[in-house]
Amino acid sequence: MFDNLKKRKLSDGFMQALTYLSSTVSLVTLLLIFGFIISKGSSFLNLNLITENYESQGFVADLYAGYELCDCNASGEYLEDGFYSKKWGIALVDSTDLLGKNVVEVLYVHQDSPFQQLHDKGIGTDPIKMKTDYDIIRIAFESHATALSRHGAAQMIEYLNANDSIREIEFQTAGGGIKGSLITTLYLIGLTLLFALPIGVGAAIYLNEYAKPTKSTKIIRSLIETLTGVPSIIYGLMGLAIFVPLTVSLTNATGGNIISGAMTLAVILLPIIIRTTEESLKVVPDEYRQASLALGASKTQTTFQVVLPSAIPGIMTATLLAIGRIVGESAALVFAIGTAIKDDITLTGKSTSLAVHIWAMMTDEPANIELSATIAIIIVLITILLNIIIKIISTRYLKRKLGSAYE
Amino acid sequence: MSSCLVDGVFNVEGLNLYYGDTHALKNVHLPIGKNQVTALIGPSGCGKSTFLRTLNRMNDLIPSCRVEGSICYRGENIYESHVDVFDLRRKVGMVFQKPNPFPMSIFDNIAYGPRCQGVKDKKVLQEIVKNALIDAALYDEVKDRLKENALSLSGGQQQRLCIARAIAMAPEVILMDEPTSALDPIATAKIEDLIIELKKEYTIVIVTHNMQQALRISDMTAFFLLGELLEFSETEQLFTHPKNPKTEAYVTGRFG
Repeated sequence: MFDNLKKRKLSDGFMQALTYLSSTVSLVTLLLIFGFIISKGSSFLNLNLITENYESQGFVADLYAGYELCDCNASGEYLEDGFYSKKWGIALVDSTDLLGKNVVEVLYVHQDSPFQQLHDKGIGTDPIKMKTDYDIIRIAFESHATALSRHGAAQMIEYLNANDSIREIEFQTAGGGIKGSLITTLYLIGLTLLFALPIGVGAAIYLNEYAKPTKSTKIIRSLIETLTGVPSIIYGLMGLAIFVPLTVSLTNATGGNIISGAMTLAVILLPIIIRTTEESLKVVPDEYRQASLALGASKTQTTFQVVLPSAIPGIMTATLLAIGRIVGESAALVFAIGTAIKDDITLTGKSTSLAVHIWAMMTDEPANIELSATIAIIIVLITILLNIIIKIISTRYLKRKLGSAYE
Repeated sequence: MSSCLVDGVFNVEGLNLYYGDTHALKNVHLPIGKNQVTALIGPSGCGKSTFLRTLNRMNDLIPSCRVEGSICYRGENIYESHVDVFDLRRKVGMVFQKPNPFPMSIFDNIAYGPRCQGVKDKKVLQEIVKNALIDAALYDEVKDRLKENALSLSGGQQQRLCIARAIAMAPEVILMDEPTSALDPIATAKIEDLIIELKKEYTIVIVTHNMQQALRISDMTAFFLLGELLEFSETEQLFTHPKNPKTEAYVTGRFG
């Protein structure tokens, strides 16, 4: 009668193995993604990338009259990595910049070097100082010889050593940094949450606490659920059609801007926030509502002073999901904010987010996978950091609100 | 405005209640006396909890619920349209079957009701909280940890906190819906002592499944069966000389 035991053992084992397999596959996939972006991007990961402007600033300069060549001795490490000119007190090295182009980079400038004080041939009147990390594009000498960066650092040093005077030197700051896009992303997070959280939480409260369970409520709810599945590029088109003209007519913006981007993102997030908040309102025990009403509290007092505080952990989850979505969204933003990478960020000016920055890097010729992977690492880091901050804040809030029983 | 006469606190006349098509309370007549404990007994589903909830109109929360007849309180029918239901619930407090303190501190739990009525002065609130806790025989146990979460209290303490929370509103009547059914015997004994003590100041209506409890604490007892009030008399009378054979069968434990 019970001779099926062996069969059951087999099928149980099979089902169990399936779950192991699925979790392994998910874990391995995640690790592979992380492995990929870290192996590709970690070499570019440094503080300069975050603090540096994207646009490099170019200078054309010559030497002030009465400059003195030096006989500067430098320690050996500069000679090992690059090429050093004792006469001019400068070390150069062949390198690639953040965008992947080959450049001649300044490795070291001796303090007595004539390059410490250069005369700006452009509009500037102050002396310019040659600094480490600057890229030298061209040095033209009085002897009519010219050293170009594409011929490498070795030749440039050779030319420098051979000449005693310089007619003109062209160089630029490093550039390629993501400071602007980083700031835009942070602005977007703040503004989008500012738009989406109050509206989303308010709508969830209405649907769960006030709306009568009629057919129209049901339809609204299923519409909201459908909106979650609409591709974000459609929202982007909507942003382009509605929010961009709206912000252009109300502010001094001339096209896609941070505000129109944040509005579009807020619309994308609304269904998620409404759903998550409603779920968390649903699990607030009905006993709390009854207890409050039985004490003579009004419906509104009950909702906002008992029910809503109990739903805070759920709303926090909604916020975390929202931040992940804001940081990761690119398709909608291509339309709603634009793809112009900028350094000076204003709410109504052109700029773009980190995710779109990646998109721009990858559509460049040639595609810059390394920098994109580095930005991906930074995006992951931002998300993790914000998650931790919000967790800490909400835990503190709950501890204060709930007393010692909350762990 | 139709006025009605009350000898005690409530006077229920011809009360019929429907949940959709279900006739849950059938033509109930019942006076409830001041500073008395009135016990409502009967088997599960007999309508005693439903009846209790008509007294502070908590049944309003159920959309399909419909009430006919009148319940007189302070000279007017509480089911008249102009009656302020929030004011009624302030005067007719309620304690539920499962202890249901809010997930807030002990202090905030008790201060919640007064705060909702607009009391903001901290000194006044402290006074209200302290008195309510003393009246609910909980003060000595929690006076040093008023800022702790109410959910950290034991079940019996939580229930007394809920009673204190009701008392803080200075009600005239306290409705109790099987307040000890989720508690152990020791906690139950404490609540019963408290109810007898509270009777001096408040009118209490209590639903109970425990007939010994009804016998121990109540002055009057009402026996409900299938939505009908079968018998209502002094507690001792009802338990020792029931008039209705069904009452006798129930109180002697032959069914239910």
